[in-house]
Amino acid sequence: MMAVLLILAAGCGPAAPAEQEEAAPVEEAAPAEEETVEEETAEEAEVEAEPEMEPVTIQVFYPVAVDAPIAAILNGYIEDFQAEYPYITVEPVFSGGYADVQTAIQTTIDGGGEPPAVGVMLATALYDLINADYIVPLDGFIGEMDDGQAYVDDFLPAFLSNSYYDDQLWSIPFQRSAVVMYYNVDMFADAGIEPPTSWQTWADAAQALTVTDGDTTNWGLHFSSDWPYWLFQPLAIGAGQNILEDDCTVVFDNQDVIDAVQFYIDLSAEYGAMPAGVQASWATDTTDLASGATAMIAHSSGSLTSLLEQSDFELGVMPYPGREEGTYASVPGGGNFYIMKGAPVEKQEAAWKFIEFISGAEYVADYSINTGYIANRYSAYDTDAMQAYLVDVPQALDTRDALEFAGAELATQNLGQVRGIFHDYIQRAINGEMTAADAMAAAQAEADAALADFCP
Amino acid sequence: MSTQVSPKRRNPLPYILILPTALFVALFTAWPVLQSIYQSFFLQRLNIARLREPTFAGLENYIDLFNDPYFIQVIKNTLTYILGTVPVSIILGFFFALLVNRKIRGVGFLRLAFFHPMVLPMVSAATIWLFFFTPDYGLLNSGLRLLGYTGAENWTGNPDLALLSVIIVAIWKNSGYYMIFYLAGLQNLPEEVFEAASLDGASSWQQLWKITFPLLRRTTLFITTIAFIDAFRTVDHIFVLTTGGPSRRSTVLLYELWQQRFDFQDVGKAAAITVILILVLLIFTITNFITSERKEV
Repeated sequence: MMAVLLILAAGCGPAAPAEQEEAAPVEEAAPAEEETVEEETAEEAEVEAEPEMEPVTIQVFYPVAVDAPIAAILNGYIEDFQAEYPYITVEPVFSGGYADVQTAIQTTIDGGGEPPAVGVMLATALYDLINADYIVPLDGFIGEMDDGQAYVDDFLPAFLSNSYYDDQLWSIPFQRSAVVMYYNVDMFADAGIEPPTSWQTWADAAQALTVTDGDTTNWGLHFSSDWPYWLFQPLAIGAGQNILEDDCTVVFDNQDVIDAVQFYIDLSAEYGAMPAGVQASWATDTTDLASGATAMIAHSSGSLTSLLEQSDFELGVMPYPGREEGTYASVPGGGNFYIMKGAPVEKQEAAWKFIEFISGAEYVADYSINTGYIANRYSAYDTDAMQAYLVDVPQALDTRDALEFAGAELATQNLGQVRGIFHDYIQRAINGEMTAADAMAAAQAEADAALADFCP
Repeated sequence: MSTQVSPKRRNPLPYILILPTALFVALFTAWPVLQSIYQSFFLQRLNIARLREPTFAGLENYIDLFNDPYFIQVIKNTLTYILGTVPVSIILGFFFALLVNRKIRGVGFLRLAFFHPMVLPMVSAATIWLFFFTPDYGLLNSGLRLLGYTGAENWTGNPDLALLSVIIVAIWKNSGYYMIFYLAGLQNLPEEVFEAASLDGASSWQQLWKITFPLLRRTTLFITTIAFIDAFRTVDHIFVLTTGGPSRRSTVLLYELWQQRFDFQDVGKAAAITVILILVLLIFTITNFITSERKEV
């Protein structure tokens, strides 16, 4: 038996490309080959048109994570970009969700292929991407700009909180969102209740707006916990302690965090203002708010556009109320631009030109208006288009202002495992299988162990 | 006679004909399997700089997996998932086939109704089921309330019901597919046998168990095999319905494999799980064929 294994080992060699799922590499390899062919023909055509600059073709892998025509919007921007930089051809490649973009890039690199020059991936993927040696820092590109510091300073600071590592900037915010609380203003007005300003007034409002009629209950609050860390984080921040300190330190076993878990449980157990147990309702909550089945939901600011379209009442948007009167909390989310290390230098430079172009104020404003993402630069709010939009949709400004109260989104070394551990135990607490204190203590112990290999 | 046989033996045509398939299988099945076996003996984690390059570790990946209570939970979940989906969807498929094999009005509509879940992509189907499972106004709870059940049951969020929820969706998805094979089998059965049985006074129940079912044994074998493989392969709805939760209660082997490779970036463990998966499928498929061939005599 050992002999057979040794032969197998010798036959494969250490450089053997990764091979996990049967179908994935085949699917990934095929389009990549096609695109190289297209690339060559495109380059040939460009040589005649622009003799002074070497023509270059870059790919941009992007996900679609919201209910908006992202592909059409991006194609419009790319046309404008190519008009300004005729020697650069940009090929946008739709790649599924965020996880799929990362998977596609990983399998391309593992299979020995050339990755796309630009990938739009989660801001929190930072450490995994650095450790895998997939991305390059962007300080060099920024240094070459006329006023690089002004360019960086124009981004809303909350959106840069997951971009720095080792004093270098690794990603540029693109499609960013924040956790907010949406509420039905009409229901609040009818019941004579003011929007909440603390945990206590939040729970009281949710309790007062919970109406049971026969078999059906119209809940005061829907707060999903099927992928809990993100929506939970503003509760912890509102209690006084975010669940992470840096890439190597998570804070789960802490009285403030435990209080936040307990507050979530109490919303159903004490106040009867929310269904009990883990709520696998992320996908249905927006519909429930729009149809009046609930008065408030915790959700992403990215749902604003579709909520405004669906609902026939006045929609309120605010950060979560914090534990103390008059305090609030939120947390950012969403995807950033990364430049891939495996792409040749001339493609990396073209990629930076594209990122710089698309983070121009006009485009940032337009992208926000058309998708519901938060415009991520201050200058975007001064554009005429944004000013006009804010008159119609003042809520868009509320989502931005929620970020004033934001802490950093959970991003650590070994993120997948650490997040999985947190999800496991907070769900046990919510389902009543463990007390909040026991669950957070166990989560802390396991997460510390999972980080040990990464943080010597 | 023998002089005629030997040139036939050397005839290269069959080998040439089988060559493309053999190459394809070697390239896209055998080679990846060998690679997975090889990789499973190495520590390789893409998100730890010093483990980016594979380091030989013998059986460490396997030992780690089987010492991890969480992986044991995944194995238990997988077994429950298989025992919950395979027999039930095959039995349902069989009875659906009996039902739509008759000359009754509206049989076309019934066939369509049973078969349409197969045509829907699993992700869209699961998205529809999300609403069926909704605690307050979901179809399942509304149905239960009609039967006198009070209170809202939280399906996908309840640790004791989450796995059942994904099992229900898998049964709904697959039964109609298996029905098609049984239907094809039923329509090929010789009618004389049933006529003879009727003349001998066999009840329809006896005919079903003593004639129909035994005659369809080959179909059953085929369906059992693909149902078993399907049960390992289908995880799309888990991504949509439960993301393996709550507290990992609905994580099955293939979902865990995806998580290890792409969420935890643990190439070695993912390869080890791949090998375990392949071994289980191989053992099942081979024993299934051997035992059935023996009964054939």
